[in-house]
Amino acid sequence: MSEILVECQQLGKRYGSASALNGVTLELTAGDPIALVGPNGAGKTTLISLICGFIGKSDGQIKVLGESPGASALSGRLAALPQDALLDPRLSVGRQLRFLARLQGMSDKLARREVQRVLETVDLRDSMNTRPADLSHGMRKRIAIAQALLGSPELVLLDEPTAGIDPPNARMIRDLIRQQSATTTFLVSSHNLDELERLCSTVVYLEKGRLVSVGPVLDDASQAIITLRLADVAESEFMEAAASLPGIQQLSRGAQGDYLIQADDDMRASLSLMQLLNDRHWKYRLMSRGKSLEERLYGKT
Amino acid sequence: MRMIALAQDEILRLLSTHRGLFSLLGFALIWAGVLNYGILPASAFFVGANESGLSELLLPRLGLSAWQAWPAPELAVYWVVSLYLLPLMALLTSADQTASDRSRGTLRYLVLRCSRLEIFFGRFLGQCVIMTLLILVTLGTVLMVIAGNSGEYLAASLGRAPVILVNLTLLVLPYIALMAWVSVMARSARQATLYAMVIWLSVSLLVSYLQARFGPLALLDWVLPGSQVSQLLRLSDWQTLDYALIPILHTVVLLLIGGSLMWRRDL
Repeated sequence: MSEILVECQQLGKRYGSASALNGVTLELTAGDPIALVGPNGAGKTTLISLICGFIGKSDGQIKVLGESPGASALSGRLAALPQDALLDPRLSVGRQLRFLARLQGMSDKLARREVQRVLETVDLRDSMNTRPADLSHGMRKRIAIAQALLGSPELVLLDEPTAGIDPPNARMIRDLIRQQSATTTFLVSSHNLDELERLCSTVVYLEKGRLVSVGPVLDDASQAIITLRLADVAESEFMEAAASLPGIQQLSRGAQGDYLIQADDDMRASLSLMQLLNDRHWKYRLMSRGKSLEERLYGKT
Repeated sequence: MRMIALAQDEILRLLSTHRGLFSLLGFALIWAGVLNYGILPASAFFVGANESGLSELLLPRLGLSAWQAWPAPELAVYWVVSLYLLPLMALLTSADQTASDRSRGTLRYLVLRCSRLEIFFGRFLGQCVIMTLLILVTLGTVLMVIAGNSGEYLAASLGRAPVILVNLTLLVLPYIALMAWVSVMARSARQATLYAMVIWLSVSLLVSYLQARFGPLALLDWVLPGSQVSQLLRLSDWQTLDYALIPILHTVVLLLIGGSLMWRRDL
């Protein structure tokens, strides 16, 4: 059985009369990266802040790695990339990371070695003596991720790690999470559902401060559905042709404009669809089994 | 251990940032001015006043009757000037203990690695060390002046240096503790200074009101940090430690308020 990293019982957080998080009961276990999703104001950052001990709970119970949030025993075991948190712009990156490593209990020598390692991991070894103020936004984000990797913690919480980041930097951050997830469990909050779908195996969905669902990113229930994205094909023409294929039960269009095709046997239906596209010389851009995460969370059905 | 590391970092931060170095430069310039245009002429004046017999008339009226008990006039004037100037210096240099780190989010990186109280007390301790070092520097400059002006008083002055150092350090502790507290509430050093002024004025007004309403109450005389200064002016030597408990109590109360706020405050 996997180790329980985070355990919440009826967890709640109120700001005055406004409830930011309400009655969340949740258990997160060690393993592949976990996606934390939900619309703005869903309570994602509040949940991360509660786990990290940045804010205090109003109701319920929460344990992180068996400890109360903010406990000294979590030093070096729990790390985070808090949203919008910055290092001191006036001091060099290396000096600040070394100080953080020393606070985790490392000797000066070990701290130096560890800082070297994490900066190499985020491909910013040359930024050791640079001040954060002199780095680009993407580089600063990678440095912030580097601080979260100091001492190889068991649980790392990343709040919007790729927000406002250019595609190459975002890709690098995704690769980094993938590489490090062998030894560390990541909880990643993001609005980029495609990104989370590729990275994570479990999704925690919050809405209006309440936990709506926790489950695998690849949902068995949606496996009988094929998602198809076409290029320059008239909708009526495709719908008519696809509906006549054997085994196709239902055709509809999702929120992103993709066709959602429900079939008796999705493997056989995929082959029929490919044959149809080939016969009509229609170009497709994407065909996948199941609904996308976005379609599952925000689609009509 | 982490508290010591945080205190060390506070000192290194002062020495490795432009802002910290400018603060030190500002302090040095102010002190040079005080020394050159305050302590030196004042000590010369009091020496003259003593020779002419004017001091017996004038000094008790100024509350400085104990100045003759100090081994050198420069040290006596330094004592008086420091009692008023160093608290102000402490307020200015220790204003940003946690404020800008909070507004920037840097405090969150620290909280993941040590407790809030370790941060609060570590930063306070660092500021205390910085102020003690600054007091040592100012005291050192005055001793150098004494050595240059009247070398015969130097040995006796050196003997009094520890008591002055202890006293002045105790004097500034509540002010650093006050800034530790307001720094928890503020988002910048400037805002922290403003909060400190508001708190100070509010307490002063409250004390005045209570005294006007209920008559003189001895306890109220000791409510504000620095309330022992007027008594210290009348004392010299180790007698000055008679009032040491007052700044210690002020410091404990202010740290309790600030620490409990730091413990509960959302970051």
